[in-house]
Parts: sequence; structure tokens; C-alpha cells
Amino acid sequence: MIWLTWRQFRTQALVATAALAAVAIYLVYLGSRIRDDYTGVLGCQPSVCVTARHAFDDAYTGQLSAVGVLLIAAPVLIGIFWGAPLITRELEERTDRLVWNQSVTRTRWLATKLVFLTLASVAVTGLFSLLLTWSASRYDQFIGNRFGALNFASRNVVPLGYAAFAFVLGVVIGLIVRRTLLAMALTLAAFAVVQLIVPNVVREHLMTPVTSIVAFDEDAMSRSDAFGMNDRGATIVGYTMAGAWSLTDEAKVLNADGTPYTSRQAVACQKGVPAENMACVAGLNLHFIYTYQPAGRYWPFQWIELSAYLAATLLLAAFGFWWIRYRSS
Amino acid sequence: MTTATTPVIETGGLGKRYGRTTALADCTLRVPAGRIVGLVGPNGAGKSTLLGLTCGIVAPTAGSIEVLGNRPGAGAAQLARVGFVAQDAPVYGGLSVADHLRLGARLNPRWDRPLAERRVKRLGLDPAQKAGRLSGGQRAQLALTIAAAKRAELLILDEPVASLDPLARRAFLHDLLDFVAELGVSVVLSSHLLGDLEKVCDHLIVLASARVQLAGDVADLLAVHHRVTGALPPSAERIHEDVVRSDAAVPGAQPVDLEDLGMAYMTRAAVASIGGAA
Repeated sequence: MIWLTWRQFRTQALVATAALAAVAIYLVYLGSRIRDDYTGVLGCQPSVCVTARHAFDDAYTGQLSAVGVLLIAAPVLIGIFWGAPLITRELEERTDRLVWNQSVTRTRWLATKLVFLTLASVAVTGLFSLLLTWSASRYDQFIGNRFGALNFASRNVVPLGYAAFAFVLGVVIGLIVRRTLLAMALTLAAFAVVQLIVPNVVREHLMTPVTSIVAFDEDAMSRSDAFGMNDRGATIVGYTMAGAWSLTDEAKVLNADGTPYTSRQAVACQKGVPAENMACVAGLNLHFIYTYQPAGRYWPFQWIELSAYLAATLLLAAFGFWWIRYRSS
Repeated sequence: MTTATTPVIETGGLGKRYGRTTALADCTLRVPAGRIVGLVGPNGAGKSTLLGLTCGIVAPTAGSIEVLGNRPGAGAAQLARVGFVAQDAPVYGGLSVADHLRLGARLNPRWDRPLAERRVKRLGLDPAQKAGRLSGGQRAQLALTIAAAKRAELLILDEPVASLDPLARRAFLHDLLDFVAELGVSVVLSSHLLGDLEKVCDHLIVLASARVQLAGDVADLLAVHHRVTGALPPSAERIHEDVVRSDAAVPGAQPVDLEDLGMAYMTRAAVASIGGAA
């Protein structure tokens, strides 16, 4: 059975290997260029550091995002071109009648195909992820947005889970709908829905977020995008704690007693001398409430999401075995 | 356990429905071992359904079926005992003839490699040839070779000659008879033309309108059916026109041949279904 699985998979394996080799060459080249430039940014003269950092960001954000999208697309392609046709092609060419009447049960046929090809899917995507994670490591250190939707999904171990899930999803959809094109379209749609819902709705609840009180000071201002104020209150927008995943987009700035900080108070602190202004504001003990997932949870999140996708893969596979045994005749 | 007297196929009230369509109904059969069974009926009569039920790729919705004493497709051991060639002899277009033999060898514990290689050689098939490039007759022969070298106890062939030209038909059936004798297997083969099968089969099942119309060993069937143009004794039953079933001898009766016999039952079923619809 392993021989037959390999014989039928040979061409696809060759195509995947060629594609992976091309990606590898590009990523090794990109990775070494990023490393060279990163050394330059670290050793910059203070006067040109801001420009150097911007140039570094500009130079690689686009390229790394593009490769990241490609890595996220890899499981989709695997689900569509390896998973969905696995059974439908047999049904459409009626070779199921040939192969399922040899001395091998359908359950064993499916088990061999699923194990072997899921491993292949995980290996291809895993190598791609390893290469991209290495290539982008300096950039990620520097930009530090590891929880970003694109960044999180295209680094380290989660892509392995996506690959396994997408492949088995394609196989099971094909088993049920029995037609190649329909199975491919449904696989694409189903996987896209999952990949939209998980990062946007589910992921932030994987662990209970932390809510803490953050002092509103210069450091807080430097980590935010904007600050707005009127006579009813003040708002800090886009504050991000270092390496964390912000779940608060904007927060009201509050006095020590919890009342909103207003423009009237700000005017009262206008002493004319900047140092005195700042001392006056600091004396108010201003703060805001901030909800986030701490930076240290990056790896727990990677492992939880990988495990969840692998568990879903196993459930789908179990359903596939039940279906091929009791429903496909 | 299977013994020499275990029937190859035994069904009781077997039926298969697809939604509201009845593909096979109330089928009760007992096929003894060692026969070459002809399964005949018009297109859509339920032949493929019955064969699918026999090898286990179709699950029954009513009644029971045992093949060689077991539930069809019940496990690897049962699969090994039944060889099946589906209609149009599907093979993997992208795999070569040699690949197909390798497939058979890898997937069947009782694979008879010398038999497979001998047959491929005798049929003049090029082992390196892609199966997708074979002619219909060559494809049928390749599929039959895989089923035969599996060394099953029962071979099921669904419309094996439908896509072949008359010359290839004769060659295929002749060849089939040869190796059936050599391997000592039971065979079931279906066709919508009784003319294809009458020279090879010694057991006949006529299927029409999803029901079994007639079943039995050919010699027994020919013994109780006659051509009678005149009046009938009370115990005799007129099947269609001059074909008559009577256990007792009928004065002035002529013998009937198998093709006319099958045709009479199929025509009667067709007339009944038209009458029923009207």
C-alpha cells in the first residue's frame, strides 16, 4: 500500500520539492541580506539611526509579507491539490472499483494514504516555515510584531497544524461530495473561513487576557499612535506594551480617583515652563486600563493553536474513516 | 468455514434502493460452487447493483447476502477471496502495465506472479506501456489478469465484453474459459446480451425490472422449457409467445435455446412493467 501511495504521489512530490527548493534559495538569500543590513542598523551613527531603521523596515516588510502570504497559502494549495482529489479522482475514473477490490480494506487504504500524505504536507510546510522563520528572525526581533495575524500564522510551528488540517479537510470533503472541482472549491472556502475566524475571533481567547493599569507617562505616549483630548476626557490610541498583543485599541485616560482626565485639568497644568508642566501632570497620577496578551505567551499560543489544529485534523480523519466504512457504498 | 457445498452466493430477500429508486428488490438466489454464471438483463435491470452487492462495494438496504459463506467485503480476508472487474475495466491511466502487476502483487497476499506475467506475455501487452494508451480489449485483459492473479475463489466480471468488438469478444471469452478451467474458480459475468454468454455459462440468472426473473443451472432450465405452438396441458405455464415452462413432457414440444429462453423472460417482464404503468 505504501508503494502504491508513493507511486501515485510521485509527480506531486516532485512539483512540491521543486517549489520548495526555489523558495529555499530565495529565503536563504533574503535572510543573509537581512542579517547584513541588521548589523548596519545596530552600528548606526545616532544622527542617522532613525533613517536607517526606517530604511530597514521599508526594505523588508513588503518582501517578508509576500513570502508570509505564500506560506499561509501553502496549506490551502495542499488541501486543494493533494487533499480534495485524493478520493474524487479515484471515483471519477472509477479506479476505486479496482483498488478497493484488492485484498486491502478501504480503511487500510485510507489510513496509509492519510498518514503518508499528511506527513508529506507537514514536512513541506514545516520546512518552508523553518526557512522563513530563520530568514525573518532579525526583522522580527527588530519590528517585534510577533502576534500580528500574518506574522503569527507564518512563523514557527502553527503552519504545520494548518497543513495537516487543510490536507485532511480536502480529503474528507472529497469523500463526501465525490466530485473534484466541487471538493476543491469547498475546501478553499472552508479553510478560508477557518483561517479568518481563528485569528480574528478565537485566538485572543486561547488564554485569559491580562488587564492591568498602566501609568500615563512619556513612555506610554512613545508606545502609542495618538492622543486626543477634549473637555469631557482624554483618550490614548494604539498603545502597545513591548512584544505584547494589545486587545485595547483606545483607552480613556483617568485620574487617580478614576474620573476622566479633561482638557480643563491640562490647562490648569500649563505653568509656562515645560519641566514644570510635566511635573504637574505627573503629580496627577494619570493612568489607563489596558488589556493584552503578554509577550511571554507567544510560545504557549503557538503550541495551543498547533494542538487545536492537530486535534481538529484527528477528528476529521475519524469522521472520514467512519464515512468510508459505512457511507460510501 | 467454506466447504465444497457452501454456495458461492446466497441471498434472501436482498434489495437495494437509492433514495426512491429501487435498483434491486426481493432477490433470493442460491448459486452453487464451481459454476460459470451468466447474469443477463436489459440495461438498468440491476445487474451492476447485484454484482456490487456481491463484492461488497454496494451495501444492501434490505435482506441478506452471503458470498462464500461470509458478508461481502467484510475484511481483507474476504476481499482476497473475491476478484472483481468493474464495467469498462477501470485501470490507472497514468500507470504502466508493469505498475499494475506490481500493484496487484503489493495488495494481494495470494498474488500469482508467474500467472500474471505469463498472461501479459501471451496477450502481447508491453509492460512499459501506460494503461491509458491501451485499447478497450487490452484494458479488459489487463483488469482480468489482475483479478485472476489475485487467486480469488470467485471472479465477478461486470459487462466484461460490452466495449469489445465481436472478434475481441470471442477471444476474451475463449481465454476466460481456458483459465477458469486452469484455476478452478467460480465466475459470475454479466451482459445485456445473452448471445455473449450462452456458450460459456452453465448457470443462468435473468434479471429485469430490478427483480430476478429466472435462475438455475442451464441444463435444468433447458429441460423444463419448451417451444409449444399448440394447446397446453394445465400444469404448463406460457412465458411468452411459444416459450413454455412445464415439468412434464408436452406433446409436440420443440427444444428451446438459451437465448430465446432468456429473451422470453425479459420480454414478459418488460410487457408486465408497461402494463403496470398503464
